[in-house]
Amino acid sequence: MVDTIYVEDEVIDTKKAQEIISKFRHAKVTSIKRFGEVFNPSNQNFRIQKTNPALILAKKQKGFVLDAPKGFGIGDQNNYYFSHMYNCLYDCSYCFLQGMYNSANYLVFVNFHDYQNEIEKTIRRHKEKKMTFFTGYDCDSLAMEPITNFINDFIPFFSRYKKALFEIRTKSINNAVFRKHDPLANCIVAYSLMPEALAQILDKKAPSVSARIKNMKYLANKGWRIGLRFDPLIYCNNWKDQYAELFANIFKEIKEENIHSVSFGSLRFPKSFFNKLLQYYPNSEELSFLRSNDKGIISYDQSIENEMNEYCRLELMKYSDARKFFSCG
Amino acid sequence: MIEKNFEGVSVRWVIALKGEAEEIIKNYAMKRVATTPFPIYKNKDFDMWLILSGIGQLNAVAATTYLHVKSDASYNTIWINFGIGGSRNFKVGELIQIDKITSSGFQDNYYPSPSAFKNNNIERCNLITVNKPEKLFEIDGVYDMEGYGFFSFAKKIAPYELVSVLKIISDIPGTDLSKIDKHRVEILVSKQIQFIEKVLENLLALQKILILQLRDPKYFDEICLQKKFTFSQKVTLRKYLTQWQARFPLRNPLDEIRQKMTASQILKKFSDNLLR
Repeated sequence: MVDTIYVEDEVIDTKKAQEIISKFRHAKVTSIKRFGEVFNPSNQNFRIQKTNPALILAKKQKGFVLDAPKGFGIGDQNNYYFSHMYNCLYDCSYCFLQGMYNSANYLVFVNFHDYQNEIEKTIRRHKEKKMTFFTGYDCDSLAMEPITNFINDFIPFFSRYKKALFEIRTKSINNAVFRKHDPLANCIVAYSLMPEALAQILDKKAPSVSARIKNMKYLANKGWRIGLRFDPLIYCNNWKDQYAELFANIFKEIKEENIHSVSFGSLRFPKSFFNKLLQYYPNSEELSFLRSNDKGIISYDQSIENEMNEYCRLELMKYSDARKFFSCG
Repeated sequence: MIEKNFEGVSVRWVIALKGEAEEIIKNYAMKRVATTPFPIYKNKDFDMWLILSGIGQLNAVAATTYLHVKSDASYNTIWINFGIGGSRNFKVGELIQIDKITSSGFQDNYYPSPSAFKNNNIERCNLITVNKPEKLFEIDGVYDMEGYGFFSFAKKIAPYELVSVLKIISDIPGTDLSKIDKHRVEILVSKQIQFIEKVLENLLALQKILILQLRDPKYFDEICLQKKFTFSQKVTLRKYLTQWQARFPLRNPLDEIRQKMTASQILKKFSDNLLR
């Protein structure tokens, strides 16, 4: 899978870096001073790098816990996100990462303890308030779990802070780590979903939607709480039928009481991201419906967005309590 | 071999000495097209050029810069620095693809992209560029006198992923440098030519990805010839035509344009259609 590993001199002797390196016996390990030497210098090309991404092991220096964008959340007052990794094993056509970075290399920050210290401080600072910590937005943490053991390290950590919700956003069907631990009431395994036919075109290298549903069912039966994330909602010619079928398929398999929350969000990009995506995927019909609005954001026409949100909300209400519904901004 | 009919093949070799370049020149049927300030060779069928830089980093940078301008190299050009080097880690004759480039005189290091190494089974190693011939080889790696200078400039004029440094080991500790003559170097290179070809094939496959990304959508040039578009209108037109192709592959956008329409009316027409 990975034939090149770059490691910052500062972390090369750490236990986590050595643990990860040991999993790639055939990879060439090259030392670097700072990850910026190989991640995202100007003139790199995301699509070309995606043909053979390297793994970069580095130390995060600051910005361990960040405020989630305004309006983003699943019910709690305070919302934060943290990213121990940039870039993803999967190759989804609409992914903002390829608009954000010139580099497709997998960058893993191995100083997990620093993240945990910062999360601890944040929890203490706001101990009266309920809060959610989101992960899996700049990567798919679960997909990389066999390499990083990130979730394995963070489930015991969050078990000490019952008031803090820990959301793991994923498309992965790897469930080994959830078999290893007892279900945690404040952990949400949140699945990104879209109609199967669209996923086959757009969610390249990711597990099929039916496999994701099967895995959600397995985890739900084990006692893990599930999040359903229809973000982004994708517009296409027969989107209503496709989404109706998707919702029916999910709730045929999973009991409503196992669902912690449902959220949906529209497809939106800054202009510069979108221009890159259009270059990468000139034949994508799905991208052809997007337009620039007067704020310089690329999105569907407002009437399309409203219609999709409204339709999906009503359709989902057939199966689930609307109090569990949230908007992703 | 190079797919001659694929538009956009563009390759530049920067090589210090004629002995190192001879087999490449022969293999890709290049002919001399200039003598000064640097000898330059070129293939007549496709866009492949080779320059003899002479020894040293300054020469390498100057020759790369000169060839960039002289050959009108586009952004999506492949740049390869090829030549001999010394090492204590390899045998004489081994071909090495460089994955890290350092220089005793500079702090920054460079890292050619792993995309260029995929599936070619060629040994990889770091390069140490020095200012005079190395005899002691105190550090692990391959020693040369041009790679750092070459890469420091080439990465500015082409994507990282299309810039490569290849070395053949000509000397190891104890080698009598006076015995490394042109003939001996030519033999070393000729034994590795098939692997050098393989490296180039891989780079050409990456170049193809880039060319497809940068290609203008169908009908773009024709429409721009018909009406005068400003720069920003051209950006919008490019975007709309790309979306048009994906959405209405059987509809010709030229059919939407009436004789008296202005550039902004044309854009509005496309935009309205795409909104539906």
